[in-house]
Amino acid sequence: MAENNIECNIVVDGNVEEVPNKKIIKFNPPLYKQRYQFVKNLVEQHQPKKVADLGCGDVCLLVILKYQKCIEELVGVDINEGRLKWNGSRLSPCMGDHLDPRELDLVITLYHGSVLEKDCRLLGFDLVACIELIEHFDSEDLAKFPEVVFGYMSPAMIVISTPNSDFNSLFPSTVFRDSDHKFEWSRMQFQTWALDMANRYSYSVEFTGVGEPPAGAEDVGCCTQIGVFRKKAKATESAVLEHHGEHVYEVIYTTSYPSLQQMNYCRRVVTYLVYREVHRMKRRCQVSLRQHELEPESADPGNPTRKFISDLPVPVLTEADKAMEMTPQPFCIGDKFYVPLERIIACPRLRHICGNVEKLREFLADVVELNCDGSAVKVDLHDCGDY
Amino acid sequence: MSGRARVRARGMARSPSAAEVGRMQASPSPLSVALSDSEASSSSDHVGTSRISQKYEGGLSSGDAGCTVKERGGKIRREMTDLSVCTREKLAHVRDCKRGSSGIPVKLVTNLFNLDLPQDWRLYQYHVTYSPDIESRRLRTALLYSRRELSNKAKAFDGVILFLSQKLEEKVMELSSETQRGETVKMTITLTRELPASSPVCIQVFSIIFKKILKKLSMYQIGRNFYKPSEPVEIPRHKLSLWPGFAISVSHFESKLLFGADVSYKILRNETVLEFMTDLCHKTGMSCCTQTCEKQLIGLIVLTRYNNKTYRIDDIDWSVKPTHTFQKRDGTEITYVDYYKQQYDITLSDLNQPVLVSLLKNKRNDDADVRMAHLIPELCYLTGLPGQATSDFQLMKAVAEETRLSPLGRQQRLARLADDIQRNKDARFELETWGLHFGCQMSLTGRVVPSEKIIIQDHICEPVSAADWSKDMRTCKILSAQSLNKWLVICSNRAESVTESFLNCLRRVGRPLGFNVDQPKIMKVQENPAAFLHAIQKYVDPEVQLVMCILPSNQKSYYDSIKKYLSSDCPVPSQCVLAQTLNKQGMMMSIATKIALQMTCKLGGELWAVEIPLKSLMVVGIDVCKDAFSQGMVVVGFVANSNPRITRWFSRCVLQRTSADVADCLKVFMTGALNRWYKHNHGLPARIIVYRDGVGDGQLKTLIEYEIPQLLSSVSEASSNTSPKLSVIVVRKKCLPRFLTETGRTLQNPPPGTVVDSGATRPEWYDFYLISRVTCRGTISPTYYNVIYDDNGLKPDHMQRLTFKLCHLYYNWPGLISVPAPCQYAHKLTFLVAQSTHKEPSLELANSLFYL
Repeated sequence: MAENNIECNIVVDGNVEEVPNKKIIKFNPPLYKQRYQFVKNLVEQHQPKKVADLGCGDVCLLVILKYQKCIEELVGVDINEGRLKWNGSRLSPCMGDHLDPRELDLVITLYHGSVLEKDCRLLGFDLVACIELIEHFDSEDLAKFPEVVFGYMSPAMIVISTPNSDFNSLFPSTVFRDSDHKFEWSRMQFQTWALDMANRYSYSVEFTGVGEPPAGAEDVGCCTQIGVFRKKAKATESAVLEHHGEHVYEVIYTTSYPSLQQMNYCRRVVTYLVYREVHRMKRRCQVSLRQHELEPESADPGNPTRKFISDLPVPVLTEADKAMEMTPQPFCIGDKFYVPLERIIACPRLRHICGNVEKLREFLADVVELNCDGSAVKVDLHDCGDY
Repeated sequence: MSGRARVRARGMARSPSAAEVGRMQASPSPLSVALSDSEASSSSDHVGTSRISQKYEGGLSSGDAGCTVKERGGKIRREMTDLSVCTREKLAHVRDCKRGSSGIPVKLVTNLFNLDLPQDWRLYQYHVTYSPDIESRRLRTALLYSRRELSNKAKAFDGVILFLSQKLEEKVMELSSETQRGETVKMTITLTRELPASSPVCIQVFSIIFKKILKKLSMYQIGRNFYKPSEPVEIPRHKLSLWPGFAISVSHFESKLLFGADVSYKILRNETVLEFMTDLCHKTGMSCCTQTCEKQLIGLIVLTRYNNKTYRIDDIDWSVKPTHTFQKRDGTEITYVDYYKQQYDITLSDLNQPVLVSLLKNKRNDDADVRMAHLIPELCYLTGLPGQATSDFQLMKAVAEETRLSPLGRQQRLARLADDIQRNKDARFELETWGLHFGCQMSLTGRVVPSEKIIIQDHICEPVSAADWSKDMRTCKILSAQSLNKWLVICSNRAESVTESFLNCLRRVGRPLGFNVDQPKIMKVQENPAAFLHAIQKYVDPEVQLVMCILPSNQKSYYDSIKKYLSSDCPVPSQCVLAQTLNKQGMMMSIATKIALQMTCKLGGELWAVEIPLKSLMVVGIDVCKDAFSQGMVVVGFVANSNPRITRWFSRCVLQRTSADVADCLKVFMTGALNRWYKHNHGLPARIIVYRDGVGDGQLKTLIEYEIPQLLSSVSEASSNTSPKLSVIVVRKKCLPRFLTETGRTLQNPPPGTVVDSGATRPEWYDFYLISRVTCRGTISPTYYNVIYDDNGLKPDHMQRLTFKLCHLYYNWPGLISVPAPCQYAHKLTFLVAQSTHKEPSLELANSLFYL
């Protein structure tokens, strides 16, 4: 939706607002964000593993996509080396990623190079995004572009966005939106080109857009027009995945995220989850021991913290808790507290990571003390670490 | 209104614009401090960006060196101000040479690396303006860096000032660049200064370069240090991860530019703040859950799950839930739950959790306009240890075992870092483009000064081990001890028999020491702090020389209430002993000996002495410590000897507002100490040497401008003719340099008495390092001494040896310690007041070591 607003030089996330100075149309959220959101939605919908952003510029789209759990490989290509160098570190893992690693591996690479050149490292992708890219090509480059992206890279899905010149009638200025634009297409022009490419490389194409026109001007269409191309035949996949072509792009930045697919991280997470579960059960045991001694406390109803606290000692039984109740109970012998592995594995997250008790035992070997037959975790009932 | 209360008040009157969710930047780089990181970090900081340009321009228009340095926050600035205080030039006797000569030379390996620069190296400082003006620092940088003219040059840029190692062709250069949105921006780059490598600004730029390099080596900045989360040390039992890393600095030492690195660990809890809180509530029960959480959490630093920032917890807002909304920067309202889902694909599991409140420091202006960030406990991790955890012996032991590095282990870490820096392509490129050459590890020659003899009543002994002469002491009479005739013992009923056998033991060990212990009056009370205090209040009369309490547990309230009452309200020396200590079979004799020695000191006794060649010398120790109880209060402790033998100590202590100058009380203290000396010796000391501990970065100037004049005025007022000569030495236990000796293929800690007064010292100061301690595990760190004022004109050699002698005189430990005894006494005194009594001790105790 567009709305009138005089103030427009707002800077968000280091990007200058979409609409140039003297314009009165302002999008909310800003148009560039809407485009990124569109790609993000596509990713959420189709769950691609390998995603490339051609003409990634300041890597803003990649920064958004790196939080997507399904993606395992993320690539950005741009011809401006300085920009890639400067922005690379925005893609590095956070400190938190080391404490709470992702489920799946993620490798992010930034390449310096022209998207008109073929590099075999861009083969076999599930989604390739070309956001506001093609309008920067002169006719010669535009002619080369489909052969590289559709013909050579040949990903399962391509999303191409470009300005819709039909919308320009709402802008006072008659020039292109960006001085580097070599052309701006009407919907008709774009769709003709897109359908032609789709036919030539056996893709299907759907048209949509972001940046809805203001009321009363619906006929000009969205400010940005988008074509979503999907590959028809997937039979050639094996041929496509042959990675013996040339490496023409220069790697500017690459990073690999910690994940549960890596043994060391997986083991760590399992160990801490086990300790957490054991600790929780131990607390519950200690609380129940204590409750035998103490009168139930009367909570002040006006206390704002009550709600938070009230569901601590007596948690609502969830499905998972119910499942857990079915498993062997933790028990005490002397001052030792034992939790059967059967019970620990009932924790959904641990079940998800380990699968079965045997695997769990394997993970815990040498790290966590088990009882003599290896069926339960053994800890001190009263930890000296109580503070 | 206290700081906390203010936070609360703000929390309640939350204006939507004030609250924000943990800086919604998807930016992966750590919280950075002004210029120091501007280049290496990509975090676009919009906080107060509207002011950035004017502010920077303001800083620049005056166009002098001080400004660039002054503008920026953080450590660099403070260190720089210290370095600009050139104290040595005023000290004539060390202007040419500040090195000592006695002792045996020893070759030492340091943790400092040479950084070589070409002779004619220059740093070029440019000023960059944008037309139209752009506020975002990141965009400014992106536009500038995308220009080919700069792409392969070494550069550092903070949004306004650009540093290059190569001169641009023209003095004023106009470039234009285009934003992603097609706006053409004109940039004017103007050369403002050419700086030689010795300029402080260069040091700042070198620090930025190394920050960048360490980031390239996959390290993350937390606080001032850099850590490597990919190689953690795990302590799962205690839910801790230790991230190895380094504290680094680039600095000009004597004649060279050196890069220093010391191994450091960051402790992280492997649980979210929510888990921590939940556990805490289970443990303490519902009634005091909120208070306990606040007590444990407020003041701690958390790390957020989704970006690379750290925040200090300033409050917990129990009334805000994740389902509540907040206003985003664009003005739209969104719930916390939706926000994290949309922005980071994170699903919050607990919708009832409160939010943590963090006040964001505005780096650029000191306006009252403080902003708050709301953080979700589920998405925060604790760094460091909560206060109480530090008293968990098992946990601390586990941490110590993992973090203690042998000299060789430390050296290996360093060598690896140096290797990484030299091998990493990006790091090497960075260094090369700047023209820096990362050289080899620096070695230097130190000296081991002669060991000291310990003087006991009937003879002089040369201890077998300087680290511990308790064995040598066992059969010797101490210098002087008062008989203990009338005293009181308070214990619980359960501890009656251990107390009895302990008292027997005490008498037995006391005799050979020359310490006569009579039978005390024993009171049996119930096991609670109030009962102990009540008994004390009831039975202590002015005749009582000492009160001993056999405590049933190490619960802090026993100790605190007893110490508070007996050091302020009713001044009597007191001795607290844990009952469980007395249960240790087979160790009774050595425990009793230690306690007997402590008790003698508290009664005003003297244990041992060292030979002091200066005949009339007063040494003073000053320490400053934050009060644990009330924020904004500090405790200043002052300890001075009252006899030339340096065995009797006078002490003063005061609690004062942080804002007040430490100096305010020093004059009074100094006068008190001189009066005491006069009374004792019927004259004034000829020389006074003050060891000042607890000095923070950037306080050197204050010391010189306020504290020394206070001390001087007290000294000159004390006598009409010749007043005592004064020297002031700043003592620092924490310093970056480390020294190791090479023996064969391995490395070892240098022996005690090792002095370093070259190479790793500063040309502008009269300073030296002294290793005065022995350790069997881990690596020793030297203590750094900076003589900032010196009327005495002692030779450096004598100053160093005197300092070493004073490290032998701490009566709580029959061995060497890392600082001069008066400093340690002052520390012990301030610690007692800051942690336990929170009240100034009575003057009646000023002449005994009651705080041991």
